[in-house]
Amino acid sequence: MPDTIHAKAGDIVLKLEDVSRTYQMGAIEVKALTGIALDITRGGFVAILGPSGSGKTTLLNLVGGIDSPSSGRITVDGIELSALDDKGLTSYRRNHIGFVFQFFNLIPTLTARENIEFAAELVNAPRAPDDVLEVVGLKERADHYPSELSGGEQQRVAIARALSKDPPILLCDEPTGELDFETGKHILSSMRTINKQDGKTILLVTHNTAIGEIADRVIRLRSGEIIEDRINESPIDPQGLRW
Amino acid sequence: MNRLKRISRHRLRRKLLRDLSASKGLFLAVTAVIILGVMFFGATSIGYQNLKQSYDYSYDELRFADFTIKVKEAPVEAVEELESIEGVASVTGRVNADIALALPGAESKRVLARVITLPADNRPAVNNVNLEEGSYFEAGDSDVLLVEKSFAEHHELEPGGNVILIADGRETTFGIAGIVTSPEYIWPAKNRQEILSSAETFGVVFVTEDAAIGLTGSSSINEFAFIVEQDADRDAIIAEAKQRLRTNSTIMDVVPREDQPSNTAVSMDLEEMGEFSEVFPLLFLIVGALATYIFLTRIVHNQRPQIGLMRAIGYTRRQVLIHYLSFALTIGVTGAIVGTIAGYLLSEVVTRFYVGILGLPYTQIQIQWLPIGEGLVLGIIPCAIAGIIPAYAASRLSPAEAMRIPAPAAGRKLLLEKVFPFLTRMSSVWKIPLRNIFRNRRRSLYTIIGVTFGISLILVSAAFIDSIDYFLNLQFERIQKYDAQMVFSPTQLPPATMVSEVQAWDEVDRAEPVLQVPVRLFRGDEEYTTSAVGLPPDSDLYRLYSTAGDRVNVSDEGILLSGSLEGVLDTHVGDVIAVVSAGVKEVQFYQVAGFLQQPMGAFGFVTLEEAQVLAGGQSVISGLMLDVHPDYLDSIREKAYTVPGVASVELTSESNDKVVELMSFIRNMMWIMLGFGAALALAIVFTTVTVNILERRPEIATMRTLGQDKGRIASMITIENLLLVIVGIIPGIPLGYLLAIYLFRLFQADIMTFYLIVYPTTYLWTIALIIVILLISQIPSIRHINRLDLARVIKEQST
Repeated sequence: MPDTIHAKAGDIVLKLEDVSRTYQMGAIEVKALTGIALDITRGGFVAILGPSGSGKTTLLNLVGGIDSPSSGRITVDGIELSALDDKGLTSYRRNHIGFVFQFFNLIPTLTARENIEFAAELVNAPRAPDDVLEVVGLKERADHYPSELSGGEQQRVAIARALSKDPPILLCDEPTGELDFETGKHILSSMRTINKQDGKTILLVTHNTAIGEIADRVIRLRSGEIIEDRINESPIDPQGLRW
Repeated sequence: MNRLKRISRHRLRRKLLRDLSASKGLFLAVTAVIILGVMFFGATSIGYQNLKQSYDYSYDELRFADFTIKVKEAPVEAVEELESIEGVASVTGRVNADIALALPGAESKRVLARVITLPADNRPAVNNVNLEEGSYFEAGDSDVLLVEKSFAEHHELEPGGNVILIADGRETTFGIAGIVTSPEYIWPAKNRQEILSSAETFGVVFVTEDAAIGLTGSSSINEFAFIVEQDADRDAIIAEAKQRLRTNSTIMDVVPREDQPSNTAVSMDLEEMGEFSEVFPLLFLIVGALATYIFLTRIVHNQRPQIGLMRAIGYTRRQVLIHYLSFALTIGVTGAIVGTIAGYLLSEVVTRFYVGILGLPYTQIQIQWLPIGEGLVLGIIPCAIAGIIPAYAASRLSPAEAMRIPAPAAGRKLLLEKVFPFLTRMSSVWKIPLRNIFRNRRRSLYTIIGVTFGISLILVSAAFIDSIDYFLNLQFERIQKYDAQMVFSPTQLPPATMVSEVQAWDEVDRAEPVLQVPVRLFRGDEEYTTSAVGLPPDSDLYRLYSTAGDRVNVSDEGILLSGSLEGVLDTHVGDVIAVVSAGVKEVQFYQVAGFLQQPMGAFGFVTLEEAQVLAGGQSVISGLMLDVHPDYLDSIREKAYTVPGVASVELTSESNDKVVELMSFIRNMMWIMLGFGAALALAIVFTTVTVNILERRPEIATMRTLGQDKGRIASMITIENLLLVIVGIIPGIPLGYLLAIYLFRLFQADIMTFYLIVYPTTYLWTIALIIVILLISQIPSIRHINRLDLARVIKEQST
């Protein structure tokens, strides 16, 4: 059991207490996560690393409210997720979470701007689509459809979409998994900028160990358990990454 | 090598079955369309063949006449003369007369009886009868008769019972020797003008020639029924027979077999069934093919990586092609076999139901291999054709390309948005559905076609139901305003002064005279045998309506003709037609003053005075139409029979009930058709909606992950489908209407005229029904997306 890093109570945006998740796959019971305890401070950039099947995506899904723990408690911004019903979880995702997926998951019939508006119209005080597109450097591509954008551009639109709702937490699942090296670095730079300038808490899931070096904190999972949880005292600039 | 091939075939077969099992909802929906189409085809076409054979067999066995000539009077010896005409196989001479009949126990009640003679000692060479109960005549019989089955059943007459025939006021009691069916009265029509005759007031009885002499006091005959030799020139024989008969008698009418009232009615029914058996299954099978195409396209699309793998590990293009074609063939073969079996079983029900209603003398239910084979082919071929395109596309995929993650579907701004820029600013709840319609245009088109065909089928059926209602309403509510009609025996027509006598009855609020005179109408080369109906110009109990629907009255300006005669006589308003009646020697000429809406029969309407001129200048009437005081509706018949010469009293309510009963078969058929149409729409909408939603699972999961609630997503899906349904409705309504016009031409005969009517409310409920179908068909998909495992589905590749 690694040492758990405890943040000051007032700074905690996300708290997991003895969280486990078990799936039933036919006759086999799969333990995706076992006894996870975590405190994440507001404004942190946390990399969650681990090989396939280590439980990192499950962890992200639980925090994102699209999956429920088999046991344990998850509290986000003072909201206990297990107390929420389907409607409450929808509202939680709407107001507190921004998702960035590996496969971008843009709606192909909407332009970049419309994809952002589609998410922004769900919240009371959204950020202007053009503003968030400017943040990711795609303002001039606002009226293009996903099929007219490169993979990197699509992922930047996805980040802009997540930002548009102005959520306190961004959950990014393998955001560079479908991108080439240079584009991947560019995306990570954008994320780091958003983290620093907007103060967003970012949980970045990746199997690429090198990417961990850009984060403030690195959590390593294996077989559903945390095997390493450390503060990265000197995170490097994403542009300096090599893998 | 062969062993390996066998193994791979076995593996692919197993994969096929498991893939189908995984998509069983869609598989069943698509197969259901094929089953319905083939079943409908089987039920109607096998039923049609069975009925046609039953009719043909009955006509052959009972030697149904090829044509009949009615004369005023002719000697029995004329038969021999006519038999000598070259090409004539047989001739029967007989008496055919309408006289009054009274039933035992209800002597005051009269029925108009069609009395037809038959030889006592042997069966007639033409128009034989089939003995259903009792016995045939014996030589010397003169006091027994045979009763036609439908009349006997209606009045519960049995062999051993009695009826009374009343000729010239003389009552003669006859014993009932037997109950028979006749090829001339399979559909017991009084004549072409009164095709829907009620057994309550009209029946057919057969007596011996001796008995007829006793009734009429004459040995002469008035009708000749002919059978011609095969390949003989019937028209030439008719001309020759007329020529020979003219020397010693007056020809009243010539009725070829196809114009014989009963045969016309059953032929119309059969034709209609034959037409339905072709048109409706065709719609089903087109939609079935579309649904198969949509289903298989989705399977191929979803299985791209599997196809890539199959090709990569060594399966040939041919194997891939056959494997994916097998999906379509499985649908086709399953649909064809199940549909054929169901259709075959249903055809027997249809045949027996139909035969039961009409009481056909002989029923032929056989295995009809041709329609069975056609049904199987009709089920399989469209599916095979629909399947070949996606299966071929699957076989042409390169392994590397197939296993690559597909690029996002191309999005584009719609032309509509360019023309109407405000659309771009719509909420995504409207924008996404609108763009989705154009995202997979081919599939949207198929949904639209499915809805179009579905709504057409529903509308055609509804149009028939509306038109039957209109038919009944027009005849019994708007035209026939009288409660009862006293019909006098043709040999005992009372003077016109009878009106005031009856008008004075307490039971009668109003009485109006009518005089029906048998006539032949001529216009150029066309001729038509019917009745001239004389009415008072101010008649209120029998109302006339122009073809435009306006109320009109008879006048001295000319003759008003039933609308169907416009085509039959090829005449127009202002033309002059010739009218020949037995009562006057000179041909009368009348100007056509207009055409009328006339659902039942086809007549010429003139003033009562003109009709009396045609009747020979006598001031007589043939009937009295009565507006009966409501308190006396039950007793009016009894009172009316106290008047001498009354042959029958027809109550409008009874006639209405009889027509409703006769119409019930087609009406029920139409309700079944409507159900089929609804099922078709449900199946196609379910298929396309389900495929659309299943393909967009990741997209929908993303929406929900972003925080869109279930209701909003369901709204988007509903809006998209509603837009497609609305687009489908636009061509569906006119297509349904055109289809109804096409099928209605079968009902356009002089004997019965249907007016194609679709009430505005019918359009509304048809549209409402299709929307309800849509809402029902998307329930499973919406339930499915509400239960999506978001964490898993957002990882899938959206397209």
